[in-house]
Amino acid sequence: MSLATLRARGILGMNRRNSVYIQGLNERSLYPTVDDKLETKARCEAAGIPVPKLLGCVRTHREARSLPEIARDHPSFVVKPARGAMGNGILVLSWQEGLLMRGDRVYPTEDLVYHAAGIVSGLYSLAGTEDVAMLEERLIIDPAFDALVADGVPDLRVIVYRGVPVMAMMRLPTRASGGRANLHQGAVGAGVDLETGRMGRAIQQDAPVAKSPDTGVTIEGFQIPHFDQIVEVALRATDETGLGYVGADVVVDANRGPVILELNARPGLAIQIANGHGLRPRLDGVDAWHAAADRTDASVDERIAAGRAVSRRDLV
Amino acid sequence: MSWAVRITGALLLLAGLALTAFKVVSHELPLTPTENQGPWQVELTVTVRGDGQNGSIRALLPGNEAGQRVFDERATSDRLAWELLDRPNGRIGRWNGWLEGVHEVVYRYRVQSTAVSVPLATEGPLDEVPRSVRSLYLQPSAAIPSTAPGVRTLTEDMDLPPPTDPIGRIQNVFAFAVHEIQSVPSATSDVLLTLDRREGTASGKEQLLTTLLRAVGTPARQVHGLILADGARPVDANWVEAWLDGQWVPLSAAEGWIGQKPADRVIVGRGSAPAIEATGARAVGHRYRALRTPLRPDEIASLMAPDDPLLSFLSLYRLPIGVQSLLQLLLLLPLGTLITAFFRNIIGVRTYGTFMPALIGLALRDLPPLFGLALVGGVLTIGVSTRFALERLRLLMVPRLSILLCVVVLCVTAIALASASIGARDWLSGAALPIVILTMWIERITITIEEEGRQEAARRVIWSLVVAAAILPVFQSEHATYLMFTFPELVISVMGLLVWVGGYMGFRLVELLRFRQMDAT
Repeated sequence: MSLATLRARGILGMNRRNSVYIQGLNERSLYPTVDDKLETKARCEAAGIPVPKLLGCVRTHREARSLPEIARDHPSFVVKPARGAMGNGILVLSWQEGLLMRGDRVYPTEDLVYHAAGIVSGLYSLAGTEDVAMLEERLIIDPAFDALVADGVPDLRVIVYRGVPVMAMMRLPTRASGGRANLHQGAVGAGVDLETGRMGRAIQQDAPVAKSPDTGVTIEGFQIPHFDQIVEVALRATDETGLGYVGADVVVDANRGPVILELNARPGLAIQIANGHGLRPRLDGVDAWHAAADRTDASVDERIAAGRAVSRRDLV
Repeated sequence: MSWAVRITGALLLLAGLALTAFKVVSHELPLTPTENQGPWQVELTVTVRGDGQNGSIRALLPGNEAGQRVFDERATSDRLAWELLDRPNGRIGRWNGWLEGVHEVVYRYRVQSTAVSVPLATEGPLDEVPRSVRSLYLQPSAAIPSTAPGVRTLTEDMDLPPPTDPIGRIQNVFAFAVHEIQSVPSATSDVLLTLDRREGTASGKEQLLTTLLRAVGTPARQVHGLILADGARPVDANWVEAWLDGQWVPLSAAEGWIGQKPADRVIVGRGSAPAIEATGARAVGHRYRALRTPLRPDEIASLMAPDDPLLSFLSLYRLPIGVQSLLQLLLLLPLGTLITAFFRNIIGVRTYGTFMPALIGLALRDLPPLFGLALVGGVLTIGVSTRFALERLRLLMVPRLSILLCVVVLCVTAIALASASIGARDWLSGAALPIVILTMWIERITITIEEEGRQEAARRVIWSLVVAAAILPVFQSEHATYLMFTFPELVISVMGLLVWVGGYMGFRLVELLRFRQMDAT
């Protein structure tokens, strides 16, 4: 492997991503829209885009003490920092016979208060500043994923560049990742064919895997349910942000269909390894698509078509 | 890298370098600290024995000229009257009086000497030799018998280039004196005997060279000097200066150099008369002692502040000593951040904090490198263990961080006590360990351990320390400290390099590893 190979494969490196795509296309003042999940949620709800329901908020240490009370009415729920990063500080809890449970272990309510206080203090926030702890509806994962995922919430990461979906990756949490859909922590990332919505090759910790480590089911060829709808929701959500280079994380809820989990102004680069393709030819293709005509009024369908074209390299 | 980045970076880099070059070339500020280090403390002791009559001691004394500065002169006179005579040919110290018994007079001075280079070259048409030079340095004398028959026969036989080529003539004569005359310490110093026997003492060879130069029409004069060496007594030496197109070119037949006077040679005086002589005395002897001494800060200031009023105003050497040592540290920081930026953006390793490695490097500057890094490692370990112990108490963040700070302060106090008890008092004298940074570091390590695992935390700690270790030698280098302090405009150059690093859009080296799987597809 040499630098020339990386370049020939069209890999997008960290430096170029930061400088050209993030600094160049994502205006700093727009970051709060995606970095603050409360803000993202509000925007999406206003635009009629499905998001997990907000059950409550904790903004002070005092309010943290009332969190178990707020949570009492909901059989299962998620606590997360509004400005967290990389899935840090997220707790998935449920009530069973009056006991608060985390997975199959009892989770003391005072721990919940302590955790919420930590979130409020800014323990998990991007900048280390004070934060808000959100109590959110727990999504019910579409049963289609049961074949691949034993624990946690799988999501589809879609990279949207200048309004065009250019690459997607299914993130499958594993026991090794502690149920979190974060590749750093050991989740499986599977490349996704933008045309068909089928999964391709997959990686775990940057190394190829063929089968789900937890269920043993072959990943390649697995059809993602409601794929077209997922991409459409991702596109509509990213349209709300005004950002030019965004990652949208979409979860397929068993009842509600695709739901926006969060948006990311600094989407990672591992998606290229999962797909086995570099991002740069596709990004260049989108630039060419924009250069060819005025695309300000291009419809969602047209943009999805453009994304499929660049993923086939038709437009380059 | 875009053109704007390339050009901005280059402009900044060049601006800093140009200012530095300007100061080096036009104001002769040395680029290395060794050149300005340690003037020599020289002590000349002359002993005379008189048997009751008026007399005097004369000694050639060094003065300020290209390549040397003399300062802090003092003389003791031992019952004699001392005077300093400023003659066109150089300075002379004279002790007059009634010489009876043993008199021991001492003359002390400090001298800063640098190499002097006067190339053996001419520019344009040759200037006519001024009358004053001709009358003084072209005439034969008892010591320089340049018209003696033996000398004349030799120069006629030498097949010299024409007088229009003085360089060729000088080189011919020089080559003869260097190669054809044996150096024999016990031989004669008389010019004609040296020439006749083809062997002579060092000073005999130099006198012969002077004689031959004058014989071929090149004004030449004898130089009395001292050779200074660390840990040894200074040695009297002679060499020669030849007039070439308006300049005196130094050269030595005994040592075979031409055009370049080494830095360890101090010019004491010129002429054929002995460097030290006495009249009215029965016996005279002298000895030298010399010691290299460190510069006092005010002396560095006077040496290093350029003559130009503006540059002198901007010279950091004018500042109070305390401010100077602080600035010396601060001016190193940009270099540290440059190294950090290189590690993070070109190599692509993850460190804790942007400035943390540089600040750690600064704090460990006065310690042996490995020991210092081990110390930081120790404080971090204690801190992280405390942090995990505190986890059970479920403290709120601000008090918890404050407790960690207390732990770090206690660690630093313990280190200070330990260092004092084993006699290394100055371990913590420089910059105090960046306590706040260490505290935040401990907190973040703990979070990384919880969120991303011990392995990732360990990897980042190790990389942070590796970057700090890469910065340390730069921070500990006297040369780097000197350069940044003497030429603070180099910070602008560092900014230029940072612009380049910041505009580098290529791959990070670790991405070669990260995307290695891409080869398979």
